[in-house]
Amino acid sequence: MNGPLGQVFRALVYVLIGLALCGIIFELAGYSAPLMFQSIAEGAFLSVRAWQNSLRWGLPLFLTALGVVISFRCGFFNIGAQGQFYMGAIAATFVVDGLSGAPAFVVIPLTFLAGLAGGGLWALWPGLLRVKSGTDEVITTLMGNFIATLFLVYVTSGPLKDPSGTGQAASSRPVAEMYRIGAANAVSPAIIAICVLVGIGAWVLVNRTAFGVLSSLAGRNPIMVVWQGAKLSRLGLAGFVLGGALAGLAGTIEVLGPIGRLSSGMLPTHGFTAILIALVANLSVLATAFVAIFFGGLAAAGLYLPVLAGLPAAAIDIINAAIALFITARAWPKRLAGFFGQRRSAP
Amino acid sequence: MNVEHNAIEVRDVSVEYGDVRALVDVSVGFAPRRIHAVVGQNGAGKTTFARVAAGIVQPVRGTLSIGGREVPVGRVGAARAAGIEIVHQSFALPPSFTVAEAMEFGAEGGRGVFTRGELERRWKRHLEALGVAVGPRERIRDLPVETQQAVEIARALVTDAKVLILDEPTAVLSPSGVEKLFERLRVMQASGVTILLILHKIREVLSIAETVTVLRGGRLVEGPVETSATEPHRLASAIIGSGLEGTLSAPDVDALVGAAEEDDAAGAGPAAGNPVAAAGTPILAMRGVSTRPDPEGPALADITLSIARGEIVGVAGVEGNGQRTLVRALSHLADLTAGDIALDGAEVTRRPLAERRAAGLRIIPFERNTEGLSLSSPLWENWSARQLLLGGVLRLINPARIRKACEAALKSWDVRFSTPNQPAGSLSGGNAQKVILAREIDDSATLIIAAQPTRGLDVGATAFVWKALREAKARGCGILLISSDLDELFDISDRVVVMLSGRISGEFAPPYHLGEVGAAMTGAGR
Repeated sequence: MNGPLGQVFRALVYVLIGLALCGIIFELAGYSAPLMFQSIAEGAFLSVRAWQNSLRWGLPLFLTALGVVISFRCGFFNIGAQGQFYMGAIAATFVVDGLSGAPAFVVIPLTFLAGLAGGGLWALWPGLLRVKSGTDEVITTLMGNFIATLFLVYVTSGPLKDPSGTGQAASSRPVAEMYRIGAANAVSPAIIAICVLVGIGAWVLVNRTAFGVLSSLAGRNPIMVVWQGAKLSRLGLAGFVLGGALAGLAGTIEVLGPIGRLSSGMLPTHGFTAILIALVANLSVLATAFVAIFFGGLAAAGLYLPVLAGLPAAAIDIINAAIALFITARAWPKRLAGFFGQRRSAP
Repeated sequence: MNVEHNAIEVRDVSVEYGDVRALVDVSVGFAPRRIHAVVGQNGAGKTTFARVAAGIVQPVRGTLSIGGREVPVGRVGAARAAGIEIVHQSFALPPSFTVAEAMEFGAEGGRGVFTRGELERRWKRHLEALGVAVGPRERIRDLPVETQQAVEIARALVTDAKVLILDEPTAVLSPSGVEKLFERLRVMQASGVTILLILHKIREVLSIAETVTVLRGGRLVEGPVETSATEPHRLASAIIGSGLEGTLSAPDVDALVGAAEEDDAAGAGPAAGNPVAAAGTPILAMRGVSTRPDPEGPALADITLSIARGEIVGVAGVEGNGQRTLVRALSHLADLTAGDIALDGAEVTRRPLAERRAAGLRIIPFERNTEGLSLSSPLWENWSARQLLLGGVLRLINPARIRKACEAALKSWDVRFSTPNQPAGSLSGGNAQKVILAREIDDSATLIIAAQPTRGLDVGATAFVWKALREAKARGCGILLISSDLDELFDISDRVVVMLSGRISGEFAPPYHLGEVGAAMTGAGR
């Protein structure tokens, strides 16, 4: 069980431990754990409707997680997926809003290009800072998230503000029906097609091109690749920008599809869940698809939790956090075992 | 008291690192107030033996006695209290400390509070008493290696050491530095210290030690025997073992164990049949190359060097005299301030490494585990990296086919591995080096830079690397061999240049003379 699938399997065990732990905590807090699990199962996977919901949440997560997979494989710890997702959505909204009235076959492709560019450019500057002057990309991408979040608040209450908005959450005008690629809060054949194509493309890139092998070598040992004559800055930057572009693509899909507009504070944990997915999937493209749909299911179930188990919808965030905790901790038992093992053998 | 106790004695000591048995039932004792040598090839267990004796490594079984009194094994404190001090192969002095601070750092029973002046006065006296010419305020990192080593020895003698163990003390020294070290050791011996030297050159053993003990594959093969009662060839076969000896030429054996006499130090030079560096375009032509100072060493200053087809040019020098910068300059990883570089007649001064590699440049880098391989990546990725970089990065590849080609290539290079998917870090040093050879030495190679290609390898792997370099030379490759092992350089180089402070301070043709090359390494006699 040491192959990539074995590692994914082990990661899923941690997910289950996280779920069980949450069950115990909610049970102790006076909620019903069996009801919680039942509502997760029903909300996520036990009906056609539930599967549709899981895909609605899971597919955009899949795209963003693919971006994370690609930049992590290059050795860049890009945790700015959330900001890149927002910037993609913002750029897409500017185009679709600004070109309002033009024919769909012009507007929709341009909107996608804008979304890809928005996410990609928002990843470009931390990438440049990293390869040109060695600035830690963890810090810059994290800061980028805050900037993007505030920028989203600004554009939805300023340049893109919907004048007829009711004032709850600031948002843009709804995207016109002719430019939509899916119904509100639903998955559509167009979205599935995009995800399948991008998924295949990413799989080929990672597993069947020289870039895939070289970037993973560079991710594990950049020095060695430099001695082979590779341009590290170009390899890394390509992965970084591609990662941002995929997050931007997910943002575009949300704007043109399920959400249908840009709204302030939309999907505030999207990018972080995507990082979680990439880690659970152990940076494998194929595994990312399954794990993303699983987490999409959890997100879909979030709507059922209040109804069935009386839990707040935020319980899903707690479950995600518990899983994140176990995934980050999974390196620990081994390290601790090594430490104590050494101590034992040499007292 | 009719029998004097051994200064240090181990009985039935075995050490295991995981599955590897580093020492197997070694029992040996060393008489007091003498200079003893322990020799053996890499991997023979010499360093492990020294560490057991110093109480650093805990053996799985066995006992250690010092001056006839048994001390608990694996306790540094107990061994030091009994009077044993060790000077490690790679120095353990903190580079940012001043000499006085470093001395105080190792001393026992010092007070918790002191003034800088007090500290410096105290250690100045101690250093002067030992004849180490160094100011107590100097920083460790600014000292030449020889002085660093002298400070380290002085530190070991702060407490009243009865036994001093030195692990490969000559590895970092020039020939004249070795002489100075030996002088110092003889003075210490006269003052009653027992000295245990871990060495791997027979020449050095015979010039300093009174007894010699040979380890091979973790077992005691011989000793301690009086050096006056043995001779180089007997020691050489004890060190190398009969298994390999038959496959090596006599000069190779001498080079492996440093057995050549001072006067004829591998005087024969490389084997006959050397196509004399003929006319025609040299494979490498460096003209007046200077660089900026490099983080890894001094700047190059006006280096002019050319290598012909089928020629092996050795680069000698004390480590840190610009050898790394030289390799980086040839690889376009150091900035040139002057001069130009041509590969096979084509100027490449400003061309990136990828283009130089495409023109036939191959590099076996200094650091096998960082510059040469990605240890956590599978073998096939490591092996294929060079070829993958030849074309566009977005072109499609067939990993299954690459894995198959990798398997065949590694087999033909005699790499011991089970699958091309295993991480490179799971191979031994010798096998890992063969993976690099398999990647770098191919039919389209024209200039091979081999930087310390045999460091840390055992006899078999070392001989294998030499054979590979000689075969590449026979095919017409030019080879730049950088090594700190003069015996290796003398054995296989057609020509040896010496680097000192970023310059070429001497150039020698066979027959080589150890003294002359050594003088060029330190700048003496110029």
